Amino acid sequence: MSKYFLFQDQKKCIGCMACVVACKSRQGLPRGPQPCLVVTVGPQWVGEQPRTAFTFMPCFHCENPWCVAACPTGAMHQRSEDGIVTVDPDLCVGCKTCISACPWGAPQWNPETGKAVKCDLCHDRIKAGLKPACVTVCPTQCLYFGTPDEIPEVRRERYARARAQEN
Amino acid sequence: MREKSCKVRTIHDWLKDKLQSRELAHPRCQQIASEIFDLIYDVSQGRAGDAHLASIFDLSDHLTSEGMPPACRRLGEEISNRVQANREVFESHIQTHTCPTGDCPMLTPAPCQMACPAGIDIPTYIMLIGQGRYAEAIEVIRKDNPFPWICGLICTHPCEFMCVRGRMDSPIAIMDLKGFTSEKAMSAMEYGNPPKMPDNGHKVCVIGAGPGGLTAAYYLALQGYQVTIIEALPVVGGMMMVGIPRYRLPREVIDREVNMIEELGVEIRLNTRLGEDVTYTDLAAEGFAAYLIAVGAHGSYKLMITGEDDYPEVISAVDYLRRVSLGDHRRPGKRVAVVGGGNVAIDAARTSLRLGCEEVTILYRRTHDQMPAHSEEVVEAEEEGIQFSYLTIPKEIVGENGHVTGLVCVRAELSEPDDSGRQRPVPVEGSDHELSVDVVIPAIGQEVDSLGLDDFNEVDWTRRHTLRVNTVSMQTHQAGVFAVGDAVTGPATVVEAIAGGKKAASAIHRYFEGIPQPELPPVPVRRSRTDYFTLPASLKMDLKRPEMALLGNERRRITFQQVRLGMADMQAQNEAKRCLRCDVCIRCGRCVEICRDKMGVEALKLGYMDFDNPGPTDLKIAAERCIACGACATNCPTDAMQMVDKDGERVLSLCGTVLNRLKLEYCETCGAVLGPARYHDYIMRRVKEISPSLVGKRICLDCARRDSGKVHAEIVPPNERR
Repeated sequence: MSKYFLFQDQKKCIGCMACVVACKSRQGLPRGPQPCLVVTVGPQWVGEQPRTAFTFMPCFHCENPWCVAACPTGAMHQRSEDGIVTVDPDLCVGCKTCISACPWGAPQWNPETGKAVKCDLCHDRIKAGLKPACVTVCPTQCLYFGTPDEIPEVRRERYARARAQEN
Repeated sequence: MREKSCKVRTIHDWLKDKLQSRELAHPRCQQIASEIFDLIYDVSQGRAGDAHLASIFDLSDHLTSEGMPPACRRLGEEISNRVQANREVFESHIQTHTCPTGDCPMLTPAPCQMACPAGIDIPTYIMLIGQGRYAEAIEVIRKDNPFPWICGLICTHPCEFMCVRGRMDSPIAIMDLKGFTSEKAMSAMEYGNPPKMPDNGHKVCVIGAGPGGLTAAYYLALQGYQVTIIEALPVVGGMMMVGIPRYRLPREVIDREVNMIEELGVEIRLNTRLGEDVTYTDLAAEGFAAYLIAVGAHGSYKLMITGEDDYPEVISAVDYLRRVSLGDHRRPGKRVAVVGGGNVAIDAARTSLRLGCEEVTILYRRTHDQMPAHSEEVVEAEEEGIQFSYLTIPKEIVGENGHVTGLVCVRAELSEPDDSGRQRPVPVEGSDHELSVDVVIPAIGQEVDSLGLDDFNEVDWTRRHTLRVNTVSMQTHQAGVFAVGDAVTGPATVVEAIAGGKKAASAIHRYFEGIPQPELPPVPVRRSRTDYFTLPASLKMDLKRPEMALLGNERRRITFQQVRLGMADMQAQNEAKRCLRCDVCIRCGRCVEICRDKMGVEALKLGYMDFDNPGPTDLKIAAERCIACGACATNCPTDAMQMVDKDGERVLSLCGTVLNRLKLEYCETCGAVLGPARYHDYIMRRVKEISPSLVGKRICLDCARRDSGKVHAEIVPPNERR
């Protein structure tokens, strides 16, 4: 697992896709690949109201990534210093094994370069003391980035508040 | 990485670095520079049109004006200067679609086309022949060579020496295919001239109706020039007619192709020798404003031995072949000695045999391997019963009563190789011996017969007594006088004369139009990028070069009938299918490297791709090993390697040769295409340490993501709420 954590508070997300756009634009990607994707679930009836959820799907930067194991060239690798899984374009030959191997479809195909691209947690921005592009542009601030111990406990607090009101 | 020598590519790479270096802070500047970059990229990809160059200059002017920051102005100036300095290369890329350095992958020409002195787009016409489009093939050939039929019979075919297929098994029979298609088109009455430009009123005089002069006349006539050829001999064709014997090149072939040129309005005056029948002053009075000297090399080197000038039976090969060609079919004698080891010597010997000489011997001072004659010719001569006496040097011609009775020779040994690696023949002392012969035919080389050329008093001659020209424009030192063919090169080949004729035609046009002459040698033109033949790898491997049927040996020894009998339709079309399409696949070997070194699959065994160390080639093993990952196709710089999904299969093909086809699997949820099973097996093998549970799950990328998004969604369905 990477030492960072990218957390989405789904209650706040309005599905504006600003994160998706920012991600693509930072990586300069053509039509097609979406290293982070907001999956729209619903709408479905919850009680009296139709409700839609938006799930933010970047790369999970697995502890033991399938994509890294599948990659025959060593282009897909896990950084030892922070656990970020990223692809080295100089080594990638475009065999797409990482794409087929990932159970969540995180690595994407860039048809323009003929290579795989994926979420690298904007490690260059992190190094410069910034937050990942998706987090920076989120208008509702539903995305949080940090180390796991810094992540706000919004869901717990919200649950506690709800319980308190019920009583 | 190797320094790129193509100027378009160098400027392309330089500008790319500039753009990436972020020196250009100004967004407008960055935008204009990247537009220029796109235009240069188009040029290097062969997608540029006539307006590209103008647009590049236009945009760089924008960079230098509009109150741009100094960095932009400097860049604009530098782009403009760099492109201007290499304008000719840019124009050549745009017009010819060829980059002879091979640095622009899409424009890299096939080795056969590069080897052809006339620069014919060989892969294109081979494909057309394979499709049975013979007239179109002729059209393509005649853009670079007005004599496809002649060259299809007697060309020295340097193209076949460079043919890449030769590294796999044997080269494509390029020359025979050309001869075949010419015959087909001619007999179907489909062999035609391209449309001619309207008359431009300029008059050009060509001296000599050989391949060089006729070629220039053809291209000039197409451009609208009024061309007159003066020819000293009573026949057209020059050395093609009076040097190459009829059994190799039938007369009607020359006549038919020359007729095509006359049809364009070219006037040919036979029996008109410059200096005798007509003078330079006469020609000038007729209004000719440019001259092309294409008189060939009809003089002969002498043996410089005793007795050479004393007997009528000592006759130079050139004179002998001319005499026979012009109809004198008398037998020169019974026992003939031909001195020399070139094609002319072989022609003289085989001609003698056909005239009824009983014993014909070729004397050559070196060995069989060092003979300059074409090996096919030597074999055919041996078959016909010509004797060869190697390491033999003639010393003296002896005779009685004014007739030759013998040739005294000495035997020779080869010396140790000198610095250039060449071994010289050294006479063995005391090895004198007399051959009993009654005819001696020296065939040791030709020189230019400059008789009648004195009127061109400003032209310059080389030490070898050939005309000195600028080899790019074929201009002599005298303004308006050009020269081509053997008169420039010394005795050479028909196709080299044709190449010169084409260059001269373009230079004469530039001379009249006042366009500066080019500085770089002409680049062969890519006429089109034709479709491939789709055929299975096994067939591509198994097709073999057809053996050309030859006339029976008995017939060959007594008649002048054509020896090579041509190809059958099926043979020709199958032969065309063997072509590896080197105009598209540039044999960079990236596919092989990636498959072997990166993927560890080793499905591509294409040893022919390595020019220096060709290895074995087996196109069939791809079907056994290839996992259809597509990395080879993704990294192919010219799209020669392609992977497409078709009719439920994933098909990998190289220039149309189907290397592998695997059945596709589909997403269990949405039916989208997944890879073939062998591809998934490969991945599963690699990830099995992590999660064996993935095995057997066939789901596409999008569905995988959507499913996992749903799993993580925080909507709780009503019935689970409480």
